[in-house]
Amino acid sequence: MSSAVWQRLSPRMLLVHPVHEVLKQLPLLIGAIVLGSATQNPVWSLVGVGVIVMLGLARWFTTTYRIDERDIMLRTGLLQRNELSVPRNRIRSVQTEARLLHRLLGLTVLRVSTGQEAKGDNAFELDAVRSDQVAGLRAVLLGEQRDDAPAGEPLASWAPSWLRYSPLSWSGLLTIGAALGVAYQAGLGDVLQQWVLLFGGPWLIVGAVLAGVVLAVGRSLLTYGNLALTRRADTLNLVHGLLKVREHTYDLRRLRGGTLREPLLVRALGGARLDAVMTGVAGAGESSLLLPACPVGTARGVLSELVGNADVVAGPLVAHGPAAVRRRWVRALLVPVGVAVVLPLLAVPGWAWGLWGVLLVACAGLAVDRVCALGHRVDGQWLVTRAGSVERRRDCVQTAGIIGWTVRQTWFQRRAGVATLVAATAAGTKRYVLIDVPAEMAWTVAATASPWVADSVWCA
Amino acid sequence: MGAPVLMKEPAYPPSRSAPLVWALGAAIPWLAVALGQVVWFVLDGRMPWLHVGVAAATMVGALVSVVVAPIWRYRVHRWEISPQAVFTRSGWLVQERRIAPISRVQTVDTYRGPLDRLFGLANVTVTTASSAGAVRIVALDASVADQVVAQLTDIAALGGHDAT
Repeated sequence: MSSAVWQRLSPRMLLVHPVHEVLKQLPLLIGAIVLGSATQNPVWSLVGVGVIVMLGLARWFTTTYRIDERDIMLRTGLLQRNELSVPRNRIRSVQTEARLLHRLLGLTVLRVSTGQEAKGDNAFELDAVRSDQVAGLRAVLLGEQRDDAPAGEPLASWAPSWLRYSPLSWSGLLTIGAALGVAYQAGLGDVLQQWVLLFGGPWLIVGAVLAGVVLAVGRSLLTYGNLALTRRADTLNLVHGLLKVREHTYDLRRLRGGTLREPLLVRALGGARLDAVMTGVAGAGESSLLLPACPVGTARGVLSELVGNADVVAGPLVAHGPAAVRRRWVRALLVPVGVAVVLPLLAVPGWAWGLWGVLLVACAGLAVDRVCALGHRVDGQWLVTRAGSVERRRDCVQTAGIIGWTVRQTWFQRRAGVATLVAATAAGTKRYVLIDVPAEMAWTVAATASPWVADSVWCA
Repeated sequence: MGAPVLMKEPAYPPSRSAPLVWALGAAIPWLAVALGQVVWFVLDGRMPWLHVGVAAATMVGALVSVVVAPIWRYRVHRWEISPQAVFTRSGWLVQERRIAPISRVQTVDTYRGPLDRLFGLANVTVTTASSAGAVRIVALDASVADQVVAQLTDIAALGGHDAT
């Protein structure tokens, strides 16, 4: 496989490319058909379809790839030739994906990630190779031994009960909102107003919310159904999706920790998400996803397994003290107090004060929750920091990966005697923040985590 | 966790001409603003209270960024390089202390803007593999900056080529 010859993608793509090309060039195709019917000359339509199909076929003939000892290379393009070369030691992860048509033909798209956010022409994507070649290619690209392809140790697998967290995401409602926006744009506003008259506004809202829930659950089922997270010798394998199967392989040697994310609504039902913190991989989004919203026990179990220390994942944290608590309260109450100052000047009706009361309670709840969350935990191996309410996260980062510390103080923080401590790493989100640590504790945390701080000439 | 760790401050201040350069750098945009106001007053002298208000705001803004900020920054800014790490303190309203281990330094850049060149200053940026970890030592005398770069590249063994 590592012989340095230029190879082509699977010939079955000769069937897939024209279809995809037709879908991609739909405007052009519609133009050709319109032209054909306008000029009463169907030849135009045929020429249009023909050109598009030829373009699709040409993509197969013009795309070749090569894997040699040092680099992997990909040549694409019919008129504008593009050659992309990636050093093999820069390969961080290999992702695969199979859309419906690909799956029917036994094909898989293979994507190589180097950690840089590659877009469009710079993404190394083999679209597509035969599915039975994938395991071998993956092993070659990640420099594994092919022999150790045993099933590995399963860490987590999807259960239908995970679906209960998906109605709590905004994705369904956002989809409906977007659809409504498009409908208005398309001049369907009158139809919508007739619906409001017909069914009544409240029922329509209930219907929209229900539809949003159904959409969100359906989407979650299609995206994460059959998810399985498996640990191999030095890789982590994530497979998910019902129609479009995605497979992501993480290099465990680059794993520097993990982030438990507990958005408010998911947390309310005892759920959490899990992201990997990896060198050279963006800390958010699909490229670092390990588990979608799932029971918090599962997420913690997997992270403990990866980290090898249950205390890091679930152990108690050191709180940040009274000044940090005070600052959470001041910030949360700033908005209600501001509104309370403005409201009397506006001569608002009485119920506005009721709304203000709701706002006050919500802000107070936010402050309490944020105070509860705030904390950190540090030893020679792991730095753990937790913060936030609506988007609560617990970041667990290996201290060996920390390559810089910043102690930041605004004027207000100096007066309150607290500081924001930022650990810089090359992994995940690149900066892991400890909010409002007591100022005298900031360097203690840094020195505990990083011996090079404790041993420096400035450390008394 | 044991007794609180105390860090000494980094030892060296920036160049003596740093406040002057910072003040000049801040004065230029404020002069443009003031000039714009003069033009506006000449073209349209109605509503004198508005002119007075805007002029007062400009005065305060200019005073803060041309006089207060450079002096304050000069008092805060410090830097030091040990064989193991780079340590800086910077800022005025928002102050930062930043430390990075030299063994993890990836690049050392020197930047000299037009004003820096006029006054013989240079800024050194030390980057690591983290986008959140770059350490900037600003407004050094050019000769000091050269020494810093030489020292850093020497320690970090970034290669024997030209130090800048």
